[in-house]
Amino acid sequence: MVDPTPSPDTGTPRWVKVFGIAALVVVVLFIVVLLVGGGEHGPGRHSPSSDPGGHSPPAGVTHGDQQP
Amino acid sequence: MIMTPRLRKLALTAHVTASVGWVGAVVGFLALAVAGLTSQDAQLVRAAYLAMELTGWFVLLPLAVASLLTGLIQSLGTKWGLFRHYWVLAKLLINVFATVVLLLYTQTLEFFADVAAETTSSGAVPSELRSPSAVLHTGLALSLLLLATVLAVYKPRGVTPYGQRKQHEQRTLSQP
Repeated sequence: MVDPTPSPDTGTPRWVKVFGIAALVVVVLFIVVLLVGGGEHGPGRHSPSSDPGGHSPPAGVTHGDQQP
Repeated sequence: MIMTPRLRKLALTAHVTASVGWVGAVVGFLALAVAGLTSQDAQLVRAAYLAMELTGWFVLLPLAVASLLTGLIQSLGTKWGLFRHYWVLAKLLINVFATVVLLLYTQTLEFFADVAAETTSSGAVPSELRSPSAVLHTGLALSLLLLATVLAVYKPRGVTPYGQRKQHEQRTLSQP
């Protein structure tokens, strides 16, 4: 926001469409990964191995809608 | 309300400082995350995760909020507006998304820090701390913040339908 004189323009630019499609693809991929992973998204999901006698992530952390 | 040039410069300085500071802090955080994931030194791994929790709460989050607030002031106080230009809107969405994810991720950082703080008899690194989670999230955050920086510098053209209406209204009002 250095330039104080905005340039007039009309129509949706190509870069906005490209960004929008890219964002949509990322969101869809994220949802697919969540569904495939059973809704798990947290430290437990990324852990290389489970530790039966060890730590379990807090309940709020493990649910998919908590952390994109 | 349009700010005076002096006030606008002050707000711009605050926004650039907070935003660039946020990028720098994320780079430092990434170094800690990589150390936590790859180091063979158990003490270093534990220290990295403890430092990440502190950095998340007391460096990243304040800078993220500061960047968001100063960005709002900067856009609403100038002719750019908040919803008039696509690049400003894109930056707002990136900033809000990154801040929300960071806020949620502090729970994970607390979990990792709790694991790191516990001592084990073997002295080995707990398996939970070998998670690539921090590296993945930090890499995503850095990519988004660099994208926001590029948008701020290049200011790609494009006016939203709302911005076009506002421009039309202003032209109508300025004509006698």
